[in-house]
Amino acid sequence: MSAGGSDGTADRPAGPPDPAAEDEGPSQAGSSLPAVELARKRKGDVEERSDAHVQQSLNIQMDDDLSRSEGEDQQVKMKCFREPHRQIEKRRRDKMNNLIDELAAMIPACQPMARKLDKLTVLRKAVQHLKALKAGMGSAFSETTCKPSILPHDDLRHLLLRAADGFLLVVSCDRAKILFISESVSKILNFSRLELTGQSLFDFIHPKDINKVKEQLSSSEMHPRQRLLDAATGVQVQVDAPVRATHLTTGARRSFFCRMKHSRLAGKHEDKHTLPSTSKKKDAYRYCTLHCTGYMRSWPSSQLDSSEADGDKETSTLTCLVTMCRLYPHVSQQPPKDINIKPPEFVTRCAIDGKFTFVDPQATSVIGYLPQEVLGTSCYEYFHQDDLQHLAGKHRQVLRSKEKIETQRYKFKTKYGSYVSLQSQWFSFTNPWTKEVEFIVSLNRLISGPGHTKDEEEAGSSKALQDDMKQIPVIPGFSSSAGTMIYAGSIGTQIANELIDTYRVNSSPSSGASSPFGPAQEKSPVVSSQTSRSASSREEAAGSSSQSQSQSDSRTAANMSSATSESAGEPSQLDLDSMVVPGLSGFSSDEAAMAVIMSLLETDVNMGQSGDLEDLHWPF
Amino acid sequence: MTADKEKRRAISREAARRRRRVESDVFGDLSGLLPLQPSVRAHLDKPSVIRLTLSYIRMHTLLKENAGTNAGTRHVIKYQPLLKGGGEQSGCGGARDKEEKEMEEFDASRETSMYLGILEGFVMVLSTEGDMIFLSDNVSKYMGLSQTELMGHNIFEYTHPCDHEEIRNNLRLTAEEVWYGEKRDFVMRIKSALTHRGRTANLKSATWKVLHCQGRAKVCMDPSAVSCLLLTCRPLPLSHTLLSRYTFTSQHSMDMRFTYCDQRVSSLLGYRPEELLGRSIYDLCHTLDTNCLNKNHLNLCLKSQSVSGQYRMLVKGGGYVWVESHSAVIPSVRASRSRPGIPQPLCILSVTYVLSGVEQPSLQLSLDQILHRCLT
Repeated sequence: MSAGGSDGTADRPAGPPDPAAEDEGPSQAGSSLPAVELARKRKGDVEERSDAHVQQSLNIQMDDDLSRSEGEDQQVKMKCFREPHRQIEKRRRDKMNNLIDELAAMIPACQPMARKLDKLTVLRKAVQHLKALKAGMGSAFSETTCKPSILPHDDLRHLLLRAADGFLLVVSCDRAKILFISESVSKILNFSRLELTGQSLFDFIHPKDINKVKEQLSSSEMHPRQRLLDAATGVQVQVDAPVRATHLTTGARRSFFCRMKHSRLAGKHEDKHTLPSTSKKKDAYRYCTLHCTGYMRSWPSSQLDSSEADGDKETSTLTCLVTMCRLYPHVSQQPPKDINIKPPEFVTRCAIDGKFTFVDPQATSVIGYLPQEVLGTSCYEYFHQDDLQHLAGKHRQVLRSKEKIETQRYKFKTKYGSYVSLQSQWFSFTNPWTKEVEFIVSLNRLISGPGHTKDEEEAGSSKALQDDMKQIPVIPGFSSSAGTMIYAGSIGTQIANELIDTYRVNSSPSSGASSPFGPAQEKSPVVSSQTSRSASSREEAAGSSSQSQSQSDSRTAANMSSATSESAGEPSQLDLDSMVVPGLSGFSSDEAAMAVIMSLLETDVNMGQSGDLEDLHWPF
Repeated sequence: MTADKEKRRAISREAARRRRRVESDVFGDLSGLLPLQPSVRAHLDKPSVIRLTLSYIRMHTLLKENAGTNAGTRHVIKYQPLLKGGGEQSGCGGARDKEEKEMEEFDASRETSMYLGILEGFVMVLSTEGDMIFLSDNVSKYMGLSQTELMGHNIFEYTHPCDHEEIRNNLRLTAEEVWYGEKRDFVMRIKSALTHRGRTANLKSATWKVLHCQGRAKVCMDPSAVSCLLLTCRPLPLSHTLLSRYTFTSQHSMDMRFTYCDQRVSSLLGYRPEELLGRSIYDLCHTLDTNCLNKNHLNLCLKSQSVSGQYRMLVKGGGYVWVESHSAVIPSVRASRSRPGIPQPLCILSVTYVLSGVEQPSLQLSLDQILHRCLT
């Protein structure tokens, strides 16, 4: 509406919703810029401040003329601006109206009104409101020595400390005496400032951090050569600190972390934010980690007040560390909700019978197991009951096709008994010389989504336990004769066997009879505990030792890794020295040796992700 | 006919002028009530006056609520000024000299400016819509734009579009956060109209500046009350800080593989620098902290500077230490003037602070550690 738009002033910031207003400034100096250029003129020409008043009056004139659309001198020139100008005007009016509405919303006097108040009334009420506020604030805005600011300084201080979750600390460098500490420390450490002022800082620092803090307090006289980082080049430089650091210089900045005592009060939830400290048992205190940033400063002692400067009158300068100590939020506890990271993906590799031969360490954050805990176990042991059928089908499919097979969502049992929802992409790797499938690579993606509440998961896992006993999933290709209990681990083996049979049938004529799946009866039920899992795989290994030798490749690999997983009952030990190789006696020596060497090579390849092959101890 | 029309037009023109004059007067009154420097006040245009008035009112509502909830705590103990004499001043209330109050205000202002100086950043209060209700006046040192220019505007006008979603997420306050503590910690890119030499330039030629924002969200149950986000925003300086024995610096290629590591890492983590070259940092950290590292890495790639949270690095023989890294992306080759247009290869410079001692030294968390134990 009116000439609010003289935006050649210094205070006009750049805002995308208002390109128009700024455009008017330069244009209304009477220049005849074509309309095209007007649109391109950018915002915030902050340097044009001189003609503010001139432009304001011109604006008024402009408004007059344009709203009249009269035939006047300027109109001819401005004809080409009218169209965009109308829009520009409209935008400015809208913005002003929005601001007025917001203002009306904030002023208590305007709120109970039923109908919308007009601009002038709102503005008048605003003036009244401000006057009332000012009266209530007292001397906050007196025109005195301190420069006026939107907020009274006291409030700003509190705001700052509340935002920063910290306190100001000034310690003397020679004796680490706390000279000043701000009031906010009581919120953070639960000590009042009276308790702290005048104390030695070291009384409140974690014993292991005392050296660190001593180092930080070291003034330049003690350590003339300082180690600094030149961030432009990333190189560390040694800087000779100036002899008298009376002002802030390079190297005067300090930034460090330390742990400070805080006393516990009932109901405080800051305990959650403490890091484990090894001396927790000894002390009654808990510690919290603070990030302290600040500067070394020196003050000539004449400025200090008498009560503080007793001992310091002898020294010519008092060097202090002035820092702000902030409590850091425990960021690692927060889920990464703001950055869109891809859902966790990890790679696993298994033999053709589904036994894991390699597991990406990243899998731990998804499934809970460390890689060494699952190596050698069949992936079927972790699949949920309901998914066994579909996954077995995919397993078969991937062994026979050269393409990537995408599974549907399925549930994978984690270490803690709950299930996570995964979706995987499988493909098989075929040895180009033997034309046999060597292993299956699986890229697994965590699907987060509805339908995996705690209850469901718990129900799922308990259901799995019960159903294992009762219900036999119908999986095509498996005989469900009476007495045969099909257990997860054997599904994979069976599928693998089928594949190998097809190879044998295709490659060379042989007896071809697939071995009966008799030993399955000896297996113990799959329960969700690690020991019995290794027990079952052990039995499986034992049971399978009597099977035909052509299956030795995959099986001895499984044997090796299952034996390994046995001894890896705790995740910490993977002792290759004491690897036991069961079932070897069942094979003829040549093939056995061959098989063992091949499987060792395979295991080596898996383990050799990080580590030298030479360092592994061979069992013989 | 036309004479009549002319007369009517003249009358309405006059009326309009009068209206505008009245309006300008009211605006003048309003800006007079705002606590601003006279020089600043003269240059304000009308929308700015309204913006600033809005900010002023909102801030006071905010502070009044605060004072209401922390009833009395503010006034119980008065601080002991460092540089002025005098002992403890007793609590508030009662008749006090105007002079005393002024002194107090003076001290408060000095203390505040000391804080702001040490903080090396500015304070920002954001409404749930993203309006910058309040900015401390040192914002001009960091953004090149003054407090009055910026207050009341929306933060989304000044930040990098790719960061908008992250900012929105941080502005959102969910119910559970009210209980767990409403801390915020994120990095964003904001426009800065400062040149390299520190002079204020045109906003047209603004560059992006990376700011580390930390603070808390203030949630109000009362719908008419102000909910806001209280933040301190600081740039991330890596230089000019004394490096202690408990920190080490390292350089990485953009995929976080070590290309250089400082000698100090041996005493802190047990690895020799040569052992680390070529290895990715993801291999050396506790798996459960992968998310934290991911976020750090992403921040670095997108925004060129980052502060990781606290995460665990594995020590050579077993166990781990808690660390925090401040990193930035720098050109890996010194920029040469002779070939200005060619993009420089980049690398990551990281300063890692070790926060704790070695925790659980017997815990083996990676094959590395296991092998090391087997071999020694």
